Amino acid sequence: MNRTTRTVIKIFLIAAGTAACLAAAYYAGSNATGHALATASDNMNYSRWLEKYFVLTRATGLANGLCALSWFLAARFLFEVDEAAGAGKRIFWAALLFVSLAISLGVPHFYAPILGIKLNGIIFGLFAAIFTGLGYWLLTIFTTPLAFKYTPLGAQLFGGRI
Amino acid sequence: MSYYFVSIGGTGAKVMESLTHLCVAGLLPEKERLYIAAIDPDVGNGNLERTATALNNFAVFQNFFVGNDTTLFKNKISIVRPFPWNPTGHDKTLDDLIEFHHHSGTPVGKLYEVLYTKKERDTTLNEGFRGHPSIGSAVLAKKFDDDADRTTLTAQIEKTIGEGDAVKIFLAGSVFGGTGAAGLPTVARLLRNNLADYSDRISIGGVLILPYFSFTPTEHFDELFARSENFLPNTKAALKYYAEKENLFNATYFVGDSVLTPVGEFSVGSANQRNEAHVVELYAALAAIDFFARPLKAPKIFKYICRHERDKFSWSDIPASSERFVQFARFIFAYVHLIKPVLNDLISGSAKAYKYPWFVDFLDDVDLNAPDVVNFNFYAEAFAAWLKQLETLNGREVFLINPSMFEANPARLVDKKLFAALDGNKSKLTIHEVWYRLTEPFKFDSTIAGFGKFLRRLYDVCA
Repeated sequence: MNRTTRTVIKIFLIAAGTAACLAAAYYAGSNATGHALATASDNMNYSRWLEKYFVLTRATGLANGLCALSWFLAARFLFEVDEAAGAGKRIFWAALLFVSLAISLGVPHFYAPILGIKLNGIIFGLFAAIFTGLGYWLLTIFTTPLAFKYTPLGAQLFGGRI
Repeated sequence: MSYYFVSIGGTGAKVMESLTHLCVAGLLPEKERLYIAAIDPDVGNGNLERTATALNNFAVFQNFFVGNDTTLFKNKISIVRPFPWNPTGHDKTLDDLIEFHHHSGTPVGKLYEVLYTKKERDTTLNEGFRGHPSIGSAVLAKKFDDDADRTTLTAQIEKTIGEGDAVKIFLAGSVFGGTGAAGLPTVARLLRNNLADYSDRISIGGVLILPYFSFTPTEHFDELFARSENFLPNTKAALKYYAEKENLFNATYFVGDSVLTPVGEFSVGSANQRNEAHVVELYAALAAIDFFARPLKAPKIFKYICRHERDKFSWSDIPASSERFVQFARFIFAYVHLIKPVLNDLISGSAKAYKYPWFVDFLDDVDLNAPDVVNFNFYAEAFAAWLKQLETLNGREVFLINPSMFEANPARLVDKKLFAALDGNKSKLTIHEVWYRLTEPFKFDSTIAGFGKFLRRLYDVCA
């Protein structure tokens, strides 16, 4: 497989992974919140809540997807290893992990009141697990460019890379 | 077919050093075994010691499982023991070696006393023949075929021929000093005589190295030693001799330099005789490669090699393809710049393995303190040092590998941006590209393993 094909496949994987995380967060979050809590506010019905919740998950999911994509693009096109000291870049990867976590927790915390929806507290945990855990951490394990393929924590536990 | 390379004296040892590096780089034709022998009474001479180290490293590299479908380490070598063969023994004078006490007072003894001065007869020969080929030829003629001290070189060649192999023997030495000037014609003649029964299966070639360095002795004025003012008269006499003995070699190569490069410090011999590598020695090693590449019974040809510019050497002046050499140089510089520092850090525990995917993929289960890994580290340094010395030629420019790119001792890249234009031709192969290629998935067959597998991959990605 040549390098361009590999790059295209990985970008596609990041996009697909982000969409999958978004779908999982929407499905799991709507079930976890439940009908009663969702419609507890004035003028709120369940289908309207679902509509706004989708907007929330989409914003969180896309922002997280951008983190995974940023890591990929930086590792693929920005970082050059022309001496041993340039290798690794785990601090950069970890910084993006914290950004992802901040997005997973911060977006529902600040954006849900703006949208006027109530959320079950468990959604914060769900978002962190799905978007940061799967959408950034796990996704970067499998899509990190080869020159930095073991930089994501735990990447060495998974064999086989493209 | 087997190849034999016989270095004679200090200059021969330096040619052997160049040949060893070219051989490690895979420049020898085919995958034949190369037998290396050295004849030098000055067993402790620094040049020979450096060459022996490179040779012993190369012998270790044969244990690397790099596969058979590569030019890397493709030629197997055998070192003919004793290495070097010392025809004089320890603390012996010419009188001792030719057993003058048996001949004293006889006509032969009186003739001997006329031919050799008292100083020539009484000087111990631990540091070689001290620029006096007349001493060397007498000693070599006596000791080479001495039953008690018969060289294993002849025995080894006979064994190779006995196994049905044809043999190409190449001798290298100077014609202007002592050991080489004495040894080249004497050893060639003795080998031809000893192997007369196999004349259809042997071919003997030789490179006669003409003066290319000079020195000024600073002390030892009363001692017997080579003098550079004698180099040209010695050479003239030697060439006259070779003109009359045209059947001595099947192929004869002459290499010299119109400018005599001053050597750093004069030394009679021994460990202090550690001269820097010179482009003349590279040419001489390429002569050996040319001889080995020719058919066993090739017709005699007369060729001249000229260079394009008086004060500059580049690949267009060298009778060899740069491609394989440049790939090997890239491989070495990538190793010393990118790999070796990491291995050192990993050994000391100051680096984490995850940063280096090639380490996790290839070397995680390799003992980095193993002698073969350590030997390769030494060798990489030695190659870089040799290359740097070649390119430092007394004000003249030698441009095989961009000399401004690297430093030797310890070897390192000064300008990593020049890595892609190592030989002056711009390529896409940057250091980062080497790094990236090293991390790409790749399948080798099961015969390629261990540290050899990593070296093979690094060598391949440097193409």
